[in-house]
Amino acid sequence: MAIEDDVLVVGGGLAGATAALAAAERDVRVRLVSHKESTLRHASGLIDVLGYTPAGEGPLADPFPALADLPEGHPYERVGAEAVRDALAFFDEIAGEAYAGAHTDANALVPTHGGTVKPTARYPTATAAGLASDDRDALLVGFATLPDFEAPLAAAHLEAAGVPFDARGVTVRFPGIERDDAKVTRYAHLLDRDEPVETAAGESTARAALAETVRSRLEGESRVGFPAILGDDSADAVRADLADRLGVDVFEVPMGPPSLPGLRLEDLLFDALSDAGVRVTTGVPVVDYETGADGAGSSGPERIDRVTVDRNGSEIPHTADQYILATGGLVGKGVQSDRERVSEPVFDCHVPHPADRYDWFVDDVFGDQPYARFGLPVDRDLRPLDADDALEFANLRAAGAVLGGYDFAAEKSGSGVSLATGYVAGRRAAEGCR
Amino acid sequence: MSDADRPTDDSGDEFEPIEVFPEAGETDLRPGADDCYKCSTCDTECPVAEVDDEFPGPKFQGPEQWRLKRQDDHDIDESVMKCSNCMRCDSACPSDVPLSQMHNTARAEYVEENMSKLSREYWRNRMLANYRRLAPLGAMFPRTANFVTGLSATQWLGEKLFGIAGEREFPEFATETFREWWTARGGAQVENPDKRIAYFHGCYSNYNTPEVAKALVRVYEHFGYEIMVPDQDCSGTPMFANGMLEDARRAAETNVRELAAAIEDGADIVASCSSCSMSLRQEYPELFDFEDTEAVAENTWDAVEYLRVHEDLEAELEGTSVGEEFDDFAYHAPCHARNQGLDGQTVELLAAIDGVEAHDVGDSCSGISGTYGWKEENYETSMEIGAEMFDHMDEADAEAGLTECPTCSMQMEHGTGYEITHTLEVLAAALVGDGTGTNATGARAE
Amino acid sequence: MARDTEVLVLGGGSTGCGIARDLATRGLEVTLVERGTLTDGTTGRMHGLLHSGGRYAVSDQASATECIEENETLREIAGHCVEETGGLFVQRPEDSDDYFREKLEGCRDCGIPARVLSGREAREIEPYLAEDVERAIEVPDGAVDPFRLCVANAIDAEAHGARIETHAEVIDLLREGDDVYGVEVRHGAGPGKRSDAAAGTTEEITAEYVVNATGAWAGQIGAMADLEIEVRPSKGVMTIMNVRQVDTVINRCRPKGDADIIVPHETTAILGTTDEEVADPDDYPEEQWEVEAMIDTLSELVPILAESRTIRSFWGVRPLYEPPGTGTQDPTDITRDFFLLDHADRDGVAGMSSIVGGKFTTYRAMAEEIADHVCAKLGVTASCSTADEPLPGSENLARLEAGMDDFGLRSPVARRSKQRLGSRASEVLATDEPNPVICQCEGVTRAEVRDAIEGSGADLNAVRIRTRASMGNCQGGFCCQNMAHELHPEYDEATVRAALDELVAERWKGQRHALWGEQLSQAMLNYALHATTMNRDRDPASASGDVEFAAFDDGVAREARGDD
Repeated sequence: MAIEDDVLVVGGGLAGATAALAAAERDVRVRLVSHKESTLRHASGLIDVLGYTPAGEGPLADPFPALADLPEGHPYERVGAEAVRDALAFFDEIAGEAYAGAHTDANALVPTHGGTVKPTARYPTATAAGLASDDRDALLVGFATLPDFEAPLAAAHLEAAGVPFDARGVTVRFPGIERDDAKVTRYAHLLDRDEPVETAAGESTARAALAETVRSRLEGESRVGFPAILGDDSADAVRADLADRLGVDVFEVPMGPPSLPGLRLEDLLFDALSDAGVRVTTGVPVVDYETGADGAGSSGPERIDRVTVDRNGSEIPHTADQYILATGGLVGKGVQSDRERVSEPVFDCHVPHPADRYDWFVDDVFGDQPYARFGLPVDRDLRPLDADDALEFANLRAAGAVLGGYDFAAEKSGSGVSLATGYVAGRRAAEGCR
Repeated sequence: MSDADRPTDDSGDEFEPIEVFPEAGETDLRPGADDCYKCSTCDTECPVAEVDDEFPGPKFQGPEQWRLKRQDDHDIDESVMKCSNCMRCDSACPSDVPLSQMHNTARAEYVEENMSKLSREYWRNRMLANYRRLAPLGAMFPRTANFVTGLSATQWLGEKLFGIAGEREFPEFATETFREWWTARGGAQVENPDKRIAYFHGCYSNYNTPEVAKALVRVYEHFGYEIMVPDQDCSGTPMFANGMLEDARRAAETNVRELAAAIEDGADIVASCSSCSMSLRQEYPELFDFEDTEAVAENTWDAVEYLRVHEDLEAELEGTSVGEEFDDFAYHAPCHARNQGLDGQTVELLAAIDGVEAHDVGDSCSGISGTYGWKEENYETSMEIGAEMFDHMDEADAEAGLTECPTCSMQMEHGTGYEITHTLEVLAAALVGDGTGTNATGARAE
Repeated sequence: MARDTEVLVLGGGSTGCGIARDLATRGLEVTLVERGTLTDGTTGRMHGLLHSGGRYAVSDQASATECIEENETLREIAGHCVEETGGLFVQRPEDSDDYFREKLEGCRDCGIPARVLSGREAREIEPYLAEDVERAIEVPDGAVDPFRLCVANAIDAEAHGARIETHAEVIDLLREGDDVYGVEVRHGAGPGKRSDAAAGTTEEITAEYVVNATGAWAGQIGAMADLEIEVRPSKGVMTIMNVRQVDTVINRCRPKGDADIIVPHETTAILGTTDEEVADPDDYPEEQWEVEAMIDTLSELVPILAESRTIRSFWGVRPLYEPPGTGTQDPTDITRDFFLLDHADRDGVAGMSSIVGGKFTTYRAMAEEIADHVCAKLGVTASCSTADEPLPGSENLARLEAGMDDFGLRSPVARRSKQRLGSRASEVLATDEPNPVICQCEGVTRAEVRDAIEGSGADLNAVRIRTRASMGNCQGGFCCQNMAHELHPEYDEATVRAALDELVAERWKGQRHALWGEQLSQAMLNYALHATTMNRDRDPASASGDVEFAAFDDGVAREARGDD
């Protein structure tokens, strides 16, 4: 007996979750199958739409006019600018109070952990008081045991970029952290649970002790930024409590992996999936597929009939009417490579790439890197195309970083593409169900 | 498998670790570090690192520690003993690093090379790991054993003498073990050469919760399966977790031999405990290379999953009810079930049964992780890890708990006072009727 | 005429640093100039083999004998740079029995301890060796860290009063008539600079005697004074594996050929190499076929290599030399012996000698011979002590190994730190401050990075070679910026940013040759981290033109003002 659903989404990152949620809005049964944790935990939790054009112009104060000029094959060009707006609205509804930025089309410039500002369309509420266009002076606080964020240097870097405020950084010890290699989840947990900690002044609790440590370092700034470790499950309460104790606004500076804002976004999405009745199966890879009979005989593309999920060696068949591939790019392992070729491992869809491996890169590390654009070409319905521009399968759509033709890192467009293509793929898949 | 007959262009291919000194169980896992791209997702999934910064997380314990090693370095960091073996890091890693295999092997090496064989800790761990050897004594005189283990003096002694957390209550022994019951009923009551399963019941449902095992029998016989109950030893889970790899190897040898024979007889293996199925499916092939290890792994299933794939379980459950026997549950998916892709299964199936619902309490770890939470030095950490689950159970609209792992079940009960049921018991009630009746010889509804 | 220094050494590789140390410890006043960081030339681009001499035991027994002697000396004086791995010459079914016998006999003739192992015995030592390896000769090959060794020589030279000037490129030899009396250098720009001289300025340094130890670049230096030095630079590729598949040096037991050695190096294994003559040591093609040959050919010896992760490849240029008129065609046949060219005897130009040819393992003996020569020229009688005096970091190593102090670090991190720092471990690692790990791949802590910064300034590539930070599997993706953080506040933000850019660019260079499979995923992750999250590719602080901040969303400031 195969496990049956109407829409089967493979991949549990931002694109996959969005696709499943968009499909579940229609009256169809949706399942999301994911193998490992997604790349959300690598990412800053910011929702970029377009910060720079493919030619490098920017930072764009408004991403929307630039969407019209993208080259053919760019995922945004495939789905159209309206779909980007619809997908953002869809995200805003899911995210609710957790995200900000919906009040304007303008991008925000968010300082991240290196002290650079980056353009983004939506940002976690936790980051809202930290925007670089806000002209209030800011104190950045780093921790001696967290070498990923060097607050005084980040502050100097912000000033070098010409931000309209004075930035200052200090480094302090985090109360309650005993070991120099404590994980960021440990910091968050101490604050979430407001655990008792020992300080020089005696017994205290994590939040009170941290506020006490920072208070004496304030020199009139009206906002204080911390690396993004201010709680996980109770982040809003942690931030509010610190702000209350310090009498200033508190914000988080997005960090690299492992990223708590990414983790919180993932929790938000999976809660939404659960509320929407999406059936979720995690920890298992899709290892094989079969095409069905009803595509045969006609000259049309094949239909995927079923996929096989591997559960520690047992092969479990799953069947659905429509399938969505949202397995990520080179990092998420939705696109793989060896010395000879670049490939898509689940359905072996076509991935265009130069035959010579030495043409996969250029010599400048931040140059126009071909490898950054590896991924599937799709039609305007997001269905993968083969080398002859014909459909790979009639009932497969692709969304997110598995798509090719764009460099999300240079454009700062990763989350936006995942949202827009996930949204469109989910909608179309649900509409296409027989 | 020689390297030559493996295609070299398959970058998804996993490396084959090599045993350096077969007798010491010392395996070279350094090449496993090739898959790590340092993203630290494993660290964010680690329930121990979140509450105890003495534990440096799975990335350090796994790929980093292995990569820094030379063949003759044996100074495994002692923090490896703080790993609870929940194996959540395995399913977290986006890049297929064999994390739990690295931890299991490093832990075994630490115990072998660095832990004094005379220490209280060693003997306590050995005792906890070898529950299977002690349980028969308890089962022989269950009332005495239950009385003795329930005495506060025993708990005090356990803590002082062996370092077993005094807050824990020892599990009660059943007055009749599952195997005794099975023999008394005359074994299988359905014969069917086409539908045959061999039941790996594990220690706990034999000695402590035979009602779970009996529920499995009722459900499978309901679907017309012939059930075999082969001889078996402990699955090895508690031994891996304590670095007692040699004890585990001995137990595994018996299990692989007996289960392979059952496979020869046309049976698939099913297990009712998620840690047992995890062990047979994943840890055996990672750690041992008996002749039939792979065959056993490939033919082992979770008992509910097996029915879901081989029968139309969901349709069969549609419209059934469990009457007054069960109400809504706060359901916790054990980490070892989650690792096998079984996290949504119970909630989906119970949705088909009228009058009962399973409320998922989230993906946090229960914190007990087998023998981990039994150790006095881990008790507080264990309860701190479990706090999230306790909170969610409390918030869920239910007054009873549901899970598939015996030690998670103990922790759930310990933390909330709820009565905890196994999913198979609910299925038995829905499909076959009352499962707790006195007619313990397997009265079936049909 | 008063000179700035007695001896001026050109070139900060192993030879130059070895000479500087030798002369400084004999009490001479020494200045060394290097155009980049120490080891930037050939020294930092070798496979890290400490020869037992076995490789030369058939073809060049004089070199082989010298190797085994120096091998034993370096184990004594540079214990913290050397790993006593042992080595195997392995024979596959298609390899000649005669050559195997010649190799064995050659080793014995040269005093190299050698023992024959069966294939099974060899696989017991190295489990990943191919099943069909028939037998092997075990020799005392070792692994050596050329960076650490070279830096230790420089540190000791400085401790004896020498001036070591890096990022100082020789732009002219000062010659008056038939006498060379110094050089003109241009001080480098960029973060590497740490002397008082301003970037881009030039300086004349005069000396009683000049030693040209620039190896493959010796011809270019000579040409500045119209001296012809016939170096024949020959390139070779080295491919670095992410982990140590072997803990013993594995040599293919067959006559010369490409891709015949695997050297366990620190946390990695290095595959080598090729041998191709090039015209310009600074500009030659790095070719794909060379990398493919390493993996394909060496996986005949260690099959797992075919599916293992390589993290980068790099090329080095051998400073081969042969006297005019020898006319050897194939660079592999050119002798590995070294030549001391006294330009007074050879060209009638006094005040300078050039040293060419030679090999890393015998750098100390070469330095001794040259120092003797220089002393003779200058009429100094002091004798050499470099074979007996341990290098900084290698004093009392036995006591360190016996010590249990882990400096509060996890044991593998403590072990690796102590292996790198040797007897300096406690001076560097004992701290009351938080000492988090900066480079997780290699287990390098903040204290060690700061110690390296103290020694080498804002040049993060120099910090890298001293510590190995950023040399592991992420190739700096996760730690380059954290290394840069340690420069602040001693160095200002602009200097830190430039140093970071330079390190990231250097790390990318070698990775390009490993861009498939895991390393391509790693590269994409690094790119995403640096470009997406940190926006380092389009950093407004580095870009020309100002950002119009007011045109962007200002978030809660708007609410605070009551807009909207």
